Amino acid sequence: MEQNDLVLKATGLTLAYGRRIVLEDVNLEVRSGRFWFFVGPNGSGKTTLIRAILGVLRPRTGTLWLHPDRGHLEQIGFVPQRCDLNPALPTTVREFVVLGLVGTRASRREETERLEWALAKVGLEGMAERDYWSISGGQRQRALVARALVRRPSLLILDEPTNGLDLAAEDAFLRLLADLNRKDHLTLLFVTHALAIAARYATHVAIFHSKRVETGPRREMLTREALKRVYGVGVEVSADPSGLVGVRVCPEGGNS
Amino acid sequence: MIESFLSSWALFHNTYLAGWLIGLLLSLVGVLVVARDQIFLGAAVSQASTLGIALAMWIGAWSAAHSLSWFRSDAFLSLMAVVFSVLAALLTGPGGETEGESHEALTGWVFLASGSLSILIVSHSPHGLEEIHRLLASSIIGATGEDVWAFGALAGLTALAIWAAHRRLVLFAMDPVMAAAVGMRTTRWAALASGCLGLAVGLSIRTSGMLYTFGCLVLPALVAKNLCREVRPMFVVAPLVAVGTGAVGFVLANHYDFPPAQMTVALLSLLLTVAWLVPRMRRRAMR
Repeated sequence: MEQNDLVLKATGLTLAYGRRIVLEDVNLEVRSGRFWFFVGPNGSGKTTLIRAILGVLRPRTGTLWLHPDRGHLEQIGFVPQRCDLNPALPTTVREFVVLGLVGTRASRREETERLEWALAKVGLEGMAERDYWSISGGQRQRALVARALVRRPSLLILDEPTNGLDLAAEDAFLRLLADLNRKDHLTLLFVTHALAIAARYATHVAIFHSKRVETGPRREMLTREALKRVYGVGVEVSADPSGLVGVRVCPEGGNS
Repeated sequence: MIESFLSSWALFHNTYLAGWLIGLLLSLVGVLVVARDQIFLGAAVSQASTLGIALAMWIGAWSAAHSLSWFRSDAFLSLMAVVFSVLAALLTGPGGETEGESHEALTGWVFLASGSLSILIVSHSPHGLEEIHRLLASSIIGATGEDVWAFGALAGLTALAIWAAHRRLVLFAMDPVMAAAVGMRTTRWAALASGCLGLAVGLSIRTSGMLYTFGCLVLPALVAKNLCREVRPMFVVAPLVAVGTGAVGFVLANHYDFPPAQMTVALLSLLLTVAWLVPRMRRRAMR
């Protein structure tokens, strides 16, 4: 594997809020075109690592290397956990998506091209002038991805983006991300609690627990042993050839 | 009606111009206040500014006995108004909250403490109470040529800054989480926004009083919010609403012999009532 493939590399990273250390000795290599899932219990530091990658939180120790081109902030798209827009504020899909261009240098013409491209990518073509508050929850989630894509990122970070979506909208949303990963070779970091989603779409998984992060390919990470260490109960993830994924919590000491 | 207004121009042109420019300045800042859903903060900052003036008057009275004339100057009164409004804006803005207390609680505390203390401080001063009542009721008669130049410069600078950074401002106001994720230092932006709000309110309050200042801060932006389909055009529509309503208000006030500040704020309130119907009509038309 060429070094040039690296998008980001964390070595011996310690992250803290004041005196409270959240993550210690994090080592992670994210290569181009991978679909990474960050999984782990609440408060295990998933969002904290994302904040560090985005440059919002400075590492206490260790190094966090971002590829000068692919890992530059201008090249990172971010879809937050929740979008706390004031619902009383007027906005259109166009204004909402174009706000993603803050911090980039794009001419008016390029801005329009990027907007149309991003909306087409997420299946919202022709909806630019629609009132943002008149579209469905699933479409708003797609607009959030479009706002990240409009930066033409090489790395897309999504912090629990499927929270609050119904099953159909979640499935459509995840298929969209899988397409972006497969067809556009977009590198994705996806934070979630849902092991079934990770088992279905991940190429690589980072498991967060006890201030540590274990990383590796999906098959090596979503094992019963690894998940038992993290969650304290037996968890078995299985997938049949059709892609149907099952997650079962097994009774303590019992067979799966 | 217009002729009567024009004939009063020679006598009151500074009042009219200062009133419109204050409306222009505050409506620009007000878009940010409304977009960040901090309307009550505007009231608290205005009230804190009044406390600054009351305290300045008290210090001025004390300094008379010690031959410290600067403490009785207009510059000192304005400085205290600005200092108190900037402090209030910083204290009640995001990040200023204390453990266990919300912004709203702090804002309420600033509003009530400032309102009561400003009266108490000047209640035994011969002209103090009258001055505070004048500020609370709003009277823009008496603005000077210097006021016109100062507010003209401030409004121009504010418009220029908004034009240069409008997209960052809109993102910061609408979605600070995303703003931080794209590299904006949101704490600094919040401090800058609070500083600008405090400066605009603190300087305006001495010339136009609390009612006109608070009215021009929030009402044009609220009207614009209901008329516009996006946040960005609010920065154009709100000043047009402020200056346009100010012009009509001053003409009507002159003709019917009403106080211009109260007439303008009443018209803005009426306009907002009408503007509330616009989004409903728009939604009905879309169905």
